[in-house]
Amino acid sequence: MSEHSPFIRHLEQVLDRVRSLCILISSVALVVLISTFGWLVFGRYILNVTPTWVEQLALLLICYVAFLGAAAGVRDDTHIGVTLFRDMLPVGAQKGLMIAIDLILAAFGGIMLFAGVTLMQFGWDTLLPMLNIPESFRTLAITSGGALIFLFAGSRGLIRILTFQDWAPEPELKDS
Amino acid sequence: MGLAILLSVFGVGVVIGAPVAFAMGIAAASAFWYEGFPLLITFQRATAGVSVFSLLAIPFFVFAGEIMLHGGIAQRLVKLASALVGHLKGGLAMVNIFSSMLFGGISGSAVADISALGSLLIPVMKERGYRPDFAVNVTVTSSIAGIVIPPSHNMIIFAVAAGGGISVSKLFLAGVIPGILMSVCLAIAAYILSIKHNYPSEPFPGWGEVGRSAADAIPGFITAVIIVGGTLSGVFTVTESGAFGAIYAVLLTRFYYRDLSFDAFVQSVTGAVRTTAMVMILIAFASSFAYLLALYQVPAKLSTLLVSISDNPIMILLMINVILLILGMIMDMAALILICTPIFLPIAKGLGMDPTQFGIMMLINLGLGLCTPPVGTCLFVGCAVGKIKIEQALKSIWPFYIAILGALLLVTFVPQVSLWLPSLYE
Repeated sequence: MSEHSPFIRHLEQVLDRVRSLCILISSVALVVLISTFGWLVFGRYILNVTPTWVEQLALLLICYVAFLGAAAGVRDDTHIGVTLFRDMLPVGAQKGLMIAIDLILAAFGGIMLFAGVTLMQFGWDTLLPMLNIPESFRTLAITSGGALIFLFAGSRGLIRILTFQDWAPEPELKDS
Repeated sequence: MGLAILLSVFGVGVVIGAPVAFAMGIAAASAFWYEGFPLLITFQRATAGVSVFSLLAIPFFVFAGEIMLHGGIAQRLVKLASALVGHLKGGLAMVNIFSSMLFGGISGSAVADISALGSLLIPVMKERGYRPDFAVNVTVTSSIAGIVIPPSHNMIIFAVAAGGGISVSKLFLAGVIPGILMSVCLAIAAYILSIKHNYPSEPFPGWGEVGRSAADAIPGFITAVIIVGGTLSGVFTVTESGAFGAIYAVLLTRFYYRDLSFDAFVQSVTGAVRTTAMVMILIAFASSFAYLLALYQVPAKLSTLLVSISDNPIMILLMINVILLILGMIMDMAALILICTPIFLPIAKGLGMDPTQFGIMMLINLGLGLCTPPVGTCLFVGCAVGKIKIEQALKSIWPFYIAILGALLLVTFVPQVSLWLPSLYE
């Protein structure tokens, strides 16, 4: 669909880069998560000192893995969905529904973003135990996830509308 | 009215093909809005839903499975299975089932199992004269055993969905016999079909080769021993065991097997991130959704409905099985565990069923759903790997369905099948 317009091609490239950045941050978070737990086990059983901050850090990092990874999943369209009923419809209706889903997801991402910002404001004065950083760093994950879902789903919906004649819905094979 | 909004928004979302996780989130937000609660609660509960210590085991299990896939452990397990059971009638089918039991036991993911073992075994089976649909069906159905053989991240999801109070160690132990039972039932079905179609057996390689294969595979298998043993012994929590198992798998495949390149490591990490994010976002929004189901007293209402149809516990359990099977045919496993556990677990408990036994029954049921159309992820992946049409696979999959249903009925009505091993541990 990006062959027809330099604007759309450029937009797709930017979105792919943002998606790759999401995966990179989530991957680093996962590696840190696993490494710190290794350190926890090593500290507890070998050094006889339990690093108590590990648990809180892990609970913080998993939010980033979940929400940034989920946003990347929106871009890659890898989330689990039931397309069986949609696939039975005529092509035009299928495309209309896919655009509608994109726009609904974008709206939901927008609500996530605003709710996340409010939660961040509430949590600014509360510190995460052991880490001594504001609770808002935890809700930053859902806030940024919301912003990215808004960006990815909204732009895909927009591109699909602009290039309505140029793409065809494909039967999807989702991983689990 | 709030419940109607929750269920209808979710239903419409699923039917039009919206991602299930977001359909749950949007439905929960709509119901909260209707009830006059601030929308913030949806997202507050979502964040709280993923910030649960025991859930941290999920990325570790998934990552360990990815490392096994890309680091050469899977190939070694197939080699061991081949040496042990390849000489039986329909040898490669037996190898397939036995490998699934070993590999699935560590990865806990049916799809990873099919991708890893199917791509190795299906082409070889076809070359040796097995029908492609038979090769695909053996691969697809045997992958379900991995869902109940510990360690399995789906068991963690069930334990969390049950609201705590269910021991993961007990679930791990409870899955062992049902997993082996399923594999044996499938092996019997495959054996009968092998005799019917005169499928070949492989030459026995000798005990020396069996020993060498075992020596090569055992270090990989220790990954599972660390995770399960660490948890059962109480030395580690399930989360620590998962992390330790993942680190062990990385060190083993990088420095001992020398099969894990940097690219393969990166591929494993990104694969684990994608799967973890997909599961965690489901858990996040299912937390909001399940909160509302409890608020609207859905479990109690459904229980009353089921009891009004029949007060016979056997009938009610059969009805629950049928409902889970039907739901499993159209929706993904993790989502259904999260939605159905708070609904059906209280009913099962009310009938005197042990929650652990219920968990295993539910996992097998939903696992079977992964192999059935219209939305059978495992069936789709298996057919893609085996390069056959779904209709072709479905024509000959029935003996395997019957084998798994047999195991499911035993798990449902004979509590000792799942509870005997945990009772020894207690």
